[in-house]
Amino acid sequence: MSGPREFLTLSGRWVVEARRALADGPTWRGQLFPQMKKLGVDSVPVAVFVAVFTGIVLALLSSYMFTRAIPLYFVGTLVAKAVMLELGPVLTGMALAGRVGANVAAELGTMRVTEQVDALETLAISPHAYLVTPRVLAATLMFPMVTALAMAVGLLSGWFTAVNLLDLTSVEFLRGARQFYNFKDIWFGLVKSASFGMAVATLGCFQGLNARGGAEGVGRATTRAVVLGCQAILVLDAFWALVLL
Amino acid sequence: MKRSNEFAVGITVLVAAAVVVIGAIALGQLRLGRGDDIRTARFRSIGGLGPGASVTLRGVKVGRVAEIRIAADDWVEVDFRLKPNLELPDQPAAIAAPATLFGEWRVNILPLDDASDDRGVQALLAEASTIGGAVWPGTTLPDIGELTLQASRIAGDIGSITNRIEGALDSNAVADVKASLKDLRATVVRLHNLANAQSENLTKLTGNMAKTSDEVDLASRRFNTVMGRVDSATMNGQLQDLVSTTRQTSTALRDMTADMQAIVRDVKDRRSSLVRVLEASDSLLTRVQSGRGTLSLLASDSALYYEATSTVRQLRQLLADIQANPRRYFRFSVF
Repeated sequence: MSGPREFLTLSGRWVVEARRALADGPTWRGQLFPQMKKLGVDSVPVAVFVAVFTGIVLALLSSYMFTRAIPLYFVGTLVAKAVMLELGPVLTGMALAGRVGANVAAELGTMRVTEQVDALETLAISPHAYLVTPRVLAATLMFPMVTALAMAVGLLSGWFTAVNLLDLTSVEFLRGARQFYNFKDIWFGLVKSASFGMAVATLGCFQGLNARGGAEGVGRATTRAVVLGCQAILVLDAFWALVLL
Repeated sequence: MKRSNEFAVGITVLVAAAVVVIGAIALGQLRLGRGDDIRTARFRSIGGLGPGASVTLRGVKVGRVAEIRIAADDWVEVDFRLKPNLELPDQPAAIAAPATLFGEWRVNILPLDDASDDRGVQALLAEASTIGGAVWPGTTLPDIGELTLQASRIAGDIGSITNRIEGALDSNAVADVKASLKDLRATVVRLHNLANAQSENLTKLTGNMAKTSDEVDLASRRFNTVMGRVDSATMNGQLQDLVSTTRQTSTALRDMTADMQAIVRDVKDRRSSLVRVLEASDSLLTRVQSGRGTLSLLASDSALYYEATSTVRQLRQLLADIQANPRRYFRFSVF
């Protein structure tokens, strides 16, 4: 890619190819579950690890802030709101952008520089249908699942911290968590994370399939996929906050 | 390999879905399998009330606000999802009010007759209840922002009053009050002396009058005897009339003397009361002059007044600052 013009051309071609690829179900259907496992299920430990420490830090930070007029049960409010609305989806998305984006970009980039993608095209198999569509669909479907688990783990770790390290009971923590709860808090985070998954996988595939120049090009594409994936997550986060909140 | 992939993905999706459902139920305190009682109240304005806000009956949480919608004729209708089989008042009314300082609102269900002593609230409830039907009348109480505004107005009024007091009670006015108190004390002393002197004079006067009356009576008798002799000598009767008139005059003079004695006794009694009053006034003025007591401090020491004025000014500044910068006093941050 030498400039914005070429980038826009490629993007347009990708939209057209995506429509064709989605219609080619038999080609991508077999790849969907393996990709869902690889991009989603295998990412659960990373997301849980991030969520555990997010919950702990949130509980401790909020107790540090709520020292005067604000009652301590607002620790539950802050942990629940922050984990469900923002930190759960965004931090999970960031972690998965590194793992999934790098994985996808490196895999497809290697296939591109070793001419495996050319071989698929020679066999009349659309790389978009066989490689891109299952990965994008898998990430779009599995990111919300992983995020939901991360939210639950973040809340639990925040509760555990509040009960064991702060002068707070389970009842008080739950009272705070329920104080300003709205079901929108949950689905808002899940909708965001689905869009994050789609963006991360799409950018990883895009960078991978457009990798040039051997191993160095693959490395460059991988780095760019991760960086762009993180940036896309932040941009989408702001977009959803504007649109849905 | 393919089967294991499907199993892992299926387990993950199921667990995630279960987490979402259980979390939503637990945090939303949804009750499954039991039919909730849906009731509706009508408000002119709902203040900060929102879906999910608690509904309480006699202080016990009995439900939540389920839905809020705009109704016809400038009304807002609020649906409450209440626990089933609640014993509600015969004529319930819904009062929405702030529950905490942090924007949390709550609806209290009360009997319409006991809802509030405030006339404004009663008028709103009466207006809402005139429509009738199954919809409860409802109204809101002012939130902390409105109360702060009212407090600010009150502080402003107090400030203007203190400014007026400041204008009326300057240092010259205090000096005048002191001078007036000195004059009053001197007047009281003079009155005391005068009362004592006049009391003695009156006593002497009444004594003399009694003595005079007795002498007049004696003279009258002697004169009567003389006149009797003259009358009997003259047999004319004119002298008898003159003597009779003189006797009546003597009697009247004696009655007057008795009245004067009664007056003097009364004056003596009053004098003792006056003396007590004067002694009390004297004690009070002595305390004022010696610098003891609140009145003395107010008259002689302006620090109390200036401290009060300064406190009111600071209260006004604080309230204005709270209104302008609420985050400085109430911090609530997600990050």
